[in-house]
Amino acid sequence: MNAVVCFCHFCEIHGPRIVYCTQPFRPQEPKGLLESEEGETKRVKSPSVSSVCSDTVSTQTGAGTGTPSLPSMKNDICEGCYSVKKGFVSYDEGGQVSYVSTQHPNNPQVFSRIRQACIRSLSCEVCPGREGPIFFGDDQYGHVLSYTFYIKDSKARGLRRSYSIIVVMMDKIYLLNSWPFLVPNLQTVVNNLQKKAEIVHENEIGKKSQGDRIFTHHGNLLQRVNCKPARSLIELTNDKNVFVLLHLAFVWILKSCGNRITESILEGPPTEDSIIDMEKIEETEEGFMKVFKVEDETSSDSLQVNTESDVDIIDPTLPLVTNIRHLYKILGIHNFHILCHHVVIGNQIIVMGSVKQLVVSILNALKILLPKGCCRVEYYSDKYQESWKCNFLGLESNVKLPIHVMASEKFVMLEVVYDDSLNGSQFDSLDSDVEDYFRSYDFKMSSPVTLQERAPTVLNKMVAAIQNKNLSDSVLEQCFICLKEEWMNKVKVVFKFTKAGGNRSKEDTEKLLQVMGAKGEEQLLKFWMTGLSAQYRNHILSSHVQAKS
Amino acid sequence: MSYTEDEQVVGSFPKGFGYGPEETDSDIGASGGEEKPRILLMGLRRSGKSSIQKVVFHKVSPNETLFLESTNKIVKDDVSNSSFVRFQIWDLPGHIDFFDPTFDSENIFGGCGALIFVIDAQDDYMDALVRLHHTVERAHKINSQIKFEIFIHKVDGLLDDHKIETQRDIHQRACDDLEDAGLEKVNLSFHLTSIYDHSIFEAFSKVVQKLIPQLPILENLLNILISNSGIEKAFLFDVVSKIYIATDSSPVDMQCYELCCDMIDVVIDISCIYGSRDDGAFDDQSAAIIKLNTNTVLYLREVNKYLALVCILREDNYNKQGLIDYNFHCFRKSIQEVFEVQQNKTGESLVANGTVRSHKT
Repeated sequence: MNAVVCFCHFCEIHGPRIVYCTQPFRPQEPKGLLESEEGETKRVKSPSVSSVCSDTVSTQTGAGTGTPSLPSMKNDICEGCYSVKKGFVSYDEGGQVSYVSTQHPNNPQVFSRIRQACIRSLSCEVCPGREGPIFFGDDQYGHVLSYTFYIKDSKARGLRRSYSIIVVMMDKIYLLNSWPFLVPNLQTVVNNLQKKAEIVHENEIGKKSQGDRIFTHHGNLLQRVNCKPARSLIELTNDKNVFVLLHLAFVWILKSCGNRITESILEGPPTEDSIIDMEKIEETEEGFMKVFKVEDETSSDSLQVNTESDVDIIDPTLPLVTNIRHLYKILGIHNFHILCHHVVIGNQIIVMGSVKQLVVSILNALKILLPKGCCRVEYYSDKYQESWKCNFLGLESNVKLPIHVMASEKFVMLEVVYDDSLNGSQFDSLDSDVEDYFRSYDFKMSSPVTLQERAPTVLNKMVAAIQNKNLSDSVLEQCFICLKEEWMNKVKVVFKFTKAGGNRSKEDTEKLLQVMGAKGEEQLLKFWMTGLSAQYRNHILSSHVQAKS
Repeated sequence: MSYTEDEQVVGSFPKGFGYGPEETDSDIGASGGEEKPRILLMGLRRSGKSSIQKVVFHKVSPNETLFLESTNKIVKDDVSNSSFVRFQIWDLPGHIDFFDPTFDSENIFGGCGALIFVIDAQDDYMDALVRLHHTVERAHKINSQIKFEIFIHKVDGLLDDHKIETQRDIHQRACDDLEDAGLEKVNLSFHLTSIYDHSIFEAFSKVVQKLIPQLPILENLLNILISNSGIEKAFLFDVVSKIYIATDSSPVDMQCYELCCDMIDVVIDISCIYGSRDDGAFDDQSAAIIKLNTNTVLYLREVNKYLALVCILREDNYNKQGLIDYNFHCFRKSIQEVFEVQQNKTGESLVANGTVRSHKT
């Protein structure tokens, strides 16, 4: 655990002081102390107190925090705030960690942080009941779990002295999650100290019976005698090894606490889109494909290769739609909304124009509205392709649609017409920032289909996101992914409910849709169902079959 | 009780911890938006800061203060008895330097009205003087409005001659130090104090009085009252702390003050024992007259919930009790008017008018 455990004391002479601190060192960390300690289980570290002190001096002057009263931390150590001359080192072979306990930490940055934490723990923060754990801190100075407590001392003012053990850590979440572990264990350490001190205290009172409470009466003066400003913890607990024990306790706490929680990156399940991507790869690798794929590949193989290779070479003099927002600007809200509505409910989108690059780019921009599984694209064809083959169709200009298509198919036609006489007047004033080269293009939309009055919820959300200027393009993209995933989940539920669940009454389906907030959007759901991955379909259907049998 | 019992509040928050500025608690009789003046108790460790605070505001017996532990954080104590006596006492531990950048010294000293620096007169006070100088210098830089009060404390252990000598010496050295630092315009007030007698209450009274903007009006009212009623000396007391927030312009005799304090104790004790109500021993009917065998009469009347008027007068002048009662009535009315003015903040002129009108007897 990357934490520093400190034992702090409110010294009668010096105020809040760090008495003892234990910190872990890993090999890659600044060595200094650890150079020759490989493999040693326990060994007093080399640097003497003087070097520690010189370091802290440089901290204070360097950081500009040196002040007349607090800085006495360096040169002026009284019995009360003194712990060990050198320190202790424990080496954990398994974890490759050395645990070093010293009076003060060597690292100036660590020192200033724990000094701050020490002052706050003893002199600022108030623990309800005065004894016990509290948490405070910030990202700048680190987060602190502080356990304040008293140790009895018959010679102290108020007959007790104030101490605290603080655990300083930069990782707030980790520290708070370790609370249930740290607090009982710190409590054990504290109770242990208090018990020892209690015995010493009892002895002292018993030995001197009255001696400790003698007040001399001198004129009007009452003065308490026998008051010692500072006594060391060793004296208070009558345990020469108290700091060794503290070292052991702190090392154990640091190590066990580190073992308690391990962090791992949690990734969400793959989105439907990525599954589709994976399936595509698998299919080609294994050498067989689904039926519609075969159609796709064979009929338009050469074409697609052509178009895509051509698209790579972008002609900057010709207009190009960069993304959905761009398209939105060019078409204006009204036409854009209608077009998108057609897209999301699965009507065939036919974009007809003489500029291939523009047609392709429009189709590419629109693809983002649909889950990948729903997109079947024919980028630029010289003859009409049936809607079951592709829902995005790019056509060369002047291609005639077959009569049966005109009569019965659901499609929307977007014609991109080049007209020199236009100079941008076809755009709304809104779209003043449309590039110049679009000014000579007109976009005509026609469709034999009448759309439902109410646009799908998901579309409205998407349009709102497009209109929201606070969202950057990349955020917008993420937003679309989320929206699509949200609705794909609903599609999955409906799929499972209708296809795999056997006969469902219409009423039940209605109710389900209402619960999901997808009432009246059957058209969209039905279309998006075609975009479900084969993996998922197979899984659902097979599990259904299993359940039946 | 008028003070918040043993209120332990977090002291200064070190800078940058995201705590906002101190919020002033809303309390009874709070005049809108007015910041409560703050009194800081500072001094070296073991100089007696916490003891002073405990004895004056918490009725701790002086002997018990021997068992106080050292203060390790700022202890804030709200004293909000009335609209006149409203302040916060911050007991600052002597171990910690609050000018350290770790602490938000602007916050601590910025809203501070008076700074009481306690010097242990029984100890070697050279260190204390160094700290005093440092404190005055820094605090004055942050807030030039602070009034510095030096309590030369624990003088009960000194002989009378020694007391005067100590005060003179400390005064001399402290002022010399300030002069050397070019701060001769900073005014230090010195008080000899001890928690074993009433000197600490008296000294505290003087500190508090400086924080009461209406003090001249109150003094004036008292002057009018005593001159018209044949009273020798009159104190306006804050009953709970026994601090007098105003007195007439005749010099204060320590014994008179002690006598009045004792009288308040007697009255409170009697009414606590025999009073009909459990909650407040002191109410608007409270009045007491004590005749002493020295031909003097002590006269106590309640002014409002927290304030009492205590007068000392000769027995000969007490034959016209009706007049005194009537004058007191007028006095109380005008005090209440001063209150209202402060609450409404309508200006000082009304106060003056009120004063004149009530004393045409």
